[in-house]
Amino acid sequence: MDSSSLCPCSEHLAMATVPKQEWCEPYDLITALEEGTIFPCLNLTFYKAPANKCHCKTHSMSGDVQKNREEMMSRLTAVSFAINDLTLYLDTHPDCPKGRELFYQLLEERLSLLTAFSSEFYPLTQTSMITGNYDRMKYGWTEGPMPWEGACI
Amino acid sequence: MFVYEKRLQFPVKIKNTNPDIARLIMSQYGGPDGELSASMRYLSQRYTMPVKKVGGLLTDIGTEELNHMEIICAMVYQLTRDLSEADVKKAGFDAYYIDHTKGIWPQAAAGIPFTSLEFQSKGDAITDLFENLAAEQKARTVYENLLRVIDDPDVVAPLKFLRAREIVHFQRFGEALEMTKDTLDSKNFYHFNSEFDRMKGKIL
Repeated sequence: MDSSSLCPCSEHLAMATVPKQEWCEPYDLITALEEGTIFPCLNLTFYKAPANKCHCKTHSMSGDVQKNREEMMSRLTAVSFAINDLTLYLDTHPDCPKGRELFYQLLEERLSLLTAFSSEFYPLTQTSMITGNYDRMKYGWTEGPMPWEGACI
Repeated sequence: MFVYEKRLQFPVKIKNTNPDIARLIMSQYGGPDGELSASMRYLSQRYTMPVKKVGGLLTDIGTEELNHMEIICAMVYQLTRDLSEADVKKAGFDAYYIDHTKGIWPQAAAGIPFTSLEFQSKGDAITDLFENLAAEQKARTVYENLLRVIDDPDVVAPLKFLRAREIVHFQRFGEALEMTKDTLDSKNFYHFNSEFDRMKGKIL
């Protein structure tokens, strides 16, 4: 809707405008999670919030199973968050090809991570109990720690 | 419908008990600009939004706010789960303990219980989008107030993440405002309320 022909002023009185975001090349997914957005152009920092060292990893536990589980969970968290952020971007930019391409690529990776996590450790979603090789002789939904326990899993 | 996925959107792994910090952070659960208020605001407003894509955005941001509510509650829980009797007697958490022990209950830092008076669903798309833009800024201020007084890096990391989300959401609500304005008469955005007056808004 072109209002310039109707009004000599380029802006509307008594109305606010937020410029539409242009696509900017996303952070790597671990940095994106730490910063709280995949988009460097939207990362407007606060002076009292220092750059994080990745706190998603734990040093208190040992053993290969624990290590593998944490690595897979860290990747799943980063991929899933990037999808969350991209979803909001695509809600207002549905015609952005770069956003769409990354969205579908990450959805694929998330599905395989959920399936692998369920097969190797415990299910995070009920769908992932049937997409992988989950043992159907047990009711596994109650397995694993609850997320608020912070159990480094 | 909502389906549970057994993980947090951002990991919370807090080692040190600290009821004083817990009492402050609790405000982002049940306080005036907290995540419970945010989720209920967007998930209530979405039904009557005239632009379908804006209703979709409200659903997605409202859902993310539920994730944030869970992150805040996990932080309060981990900051108080090993609370001793001595910790309880220290000023700061004792009043909360008397009413709730270590249970998680939505209230503001100053003890005011959660109330739906903290948010609005006004039935006017322009009004509600401005409400949301303001809400994201108010929540950003609270996270910055928290970051100024908290040093524990286990607590700072999720707070920093949550603060960043407020700015992203502000941007998206701004874009939703533009999408809504595009359906209205730019000579007078206020000629009618597109959620009530079924006139000539070209609803997308």
